[in-house]
Amino acid sequence: MKSIAHKRSREVEAWLRKEVAEQKVRYRKIVQEQDALEPKRDKWIAEFLQRIQTRGVHVHFDQMRKVRPEEIPTKPKRKFRVVF
Amino acid sequence: MARPHIEPFVDRDVPFKKLTLPGFPKGMQYKMLSLDPDNGACTMTVLFEPGYKQPPGMSYSEYELFIQSGSIQIGDKVWGPGSYFFVPAGVAIEQLTSSRGATALLFFNYGEPSWVESETDHPLAERQRFRAVNSYNDLQWSSTNFYPATAPGCMVKVLAFDERTQAFTFLYCMTPNFWQDNISYHDCAEEAYHIWGTSWMMQFGDLPTGGYFYRPPYINHGAFGCKLGTLALGRTDSRLYNHFHFNPWTSLEENKERAASRVQHWMPDLYKWINTHGHNHPVDFEFAHGHAHGDTAHHHGDGQVDHVHKRKKRRRR
Repeated sequence: MKSIAHKRSREVEAWLRKEVAEQKVRYRKIVQEQDALEPKRDKWIAEFLQRIQTRGVHVHFDQMRKVRPEEIPTKPKRKFRVVF
Repeated sequence: MARPHIEPFVDRDVPFKKLTLPGFPKGMQYKMLSLDPDNGACTMTVLFEPGYKQPPGMSYSEYELFIQSGSIQIGDKVWGPGSYFFVPAGVAIEQLTSSRGATALLFFNYGEPSWVESETDHPLAERQRFRAVNSYNDLQWSSTNFYPATAPGCMVKVLAFDERTQAFTFLYCMTPNFWQDNISYHDCAEEAYHIWGTSWMMQFGDLPTGGYFYRPPYINHGAFGCKLGTLALGRTDSRLYNHFHFNPWTSLEENKERAASRVQHWMPDLYKWINTHGHNHPVDFEFAHGHAHGDTAHHHGDGQVDHVHKRKKRRRR
C-alpha cells in the first residue's frame, strides 16, 4: 500500500496548481542553462572520447577496455538534448 | 504524466517558503525540489523552526525523512544528523518536536504532502515496513553490489529497500578524485541530493552542495568525476540497473529500445510470454493482485497500458 485513497481539499488542489506552475518555470530555466553549457559540453565529450581510447571505458567496477578508433561514435545531425 | 526531468537544480539559490497545507502545524518551511503534477508526489528540503511541534499523526502517502542538520525528537528519542525514517502510508508516528530546529529532506513518494492527527495506524497501514536508523552512526559504507558496478570509490549505505519494486533509498559517497569514464542510464527514475560536496557529469557540469536532480528513466548521464569528495542521498522508484555505454548522443528512444532488446536476450522465454499472454497482467503470488487499485500496468490485448478502468456501478436490489 503506497498511498491510501482520500479526497483532496480545495486548498491542496490550489497549492498543487501553484507548485506545478513554479516547477514549469524552474524547468524552463534549467533547459536554458543547459543549452548555454553546450560549448563546454562539446569539449568535455571530445576529451571523453579521447580518454576511452587511451585509458579505456569502464565496463564493470575497475574493469576497463580501450575503445578502438572505428568504434568512436559521431555526432548525429539531430538536435542534441540532455534535459528531457 | 510523471515528474519532469529536473537536473540540475540547486536549492541554495532559492528561499524557504512556509508550508501552510491543511493538517500540518505551523513552523515548517520548504523548498520544492520536484513534484509529480498528477498525484502530487514530491521531494522537498524542509526546515523545522525552533520550537516546532507536530502532534502524533499519519500521512496518506508513504514518506521518507532524512535529517541533515539539527535534531528532532520523536516520542522520547532524539534523532540527529543522518537519521532516516521510512514511514509507510497510514503508519502513525508519535509527537515530533524540534526544540532548536532542524533541516531535512522529505519525500512523499506516492501522493501530495498530507498529515492527519492520529495516535493509531490507519487500518490499511503496513506497520512492519516502518524503518528508523541513524545512517551516519549505525550503518557502514559498502561497495555497490550492482552488476555491472560503478567504479571503485563510489560507496553506499542502503537505507530502505522495497522488495516488490526493488526501489531503494541510499546514502552514497564519492571519494576525492573519483572518476568513472562511461555513460549510464537506468530503467528506473532516480533522484539525488548533495548533502556535501561537488561532483561533475559530462552532460550537466558541476552539482554542488545543495544540488539536486530528478531524472526519469533512460536519460544518459556520465562520465563522472569528483575532485574533493561528495556525500549524497539517492533514491530510485524501482530496480536500478546500470546500462553502460560510451555514445554521448544516443536518444531516449534508442536507450529504451536497447534496454528492451536486452530483456529480450537475457530473458527470452519471459519476454515472449509477457508479449503474448492475453490479459497481460502477470500476478506475483507473494502480493495482492493489485488490479482493483489500478496500480499494476497491464493491457487488454490492445497495447494500451495507460488506460483507466471505470468504476462498475453496483445494481441495487
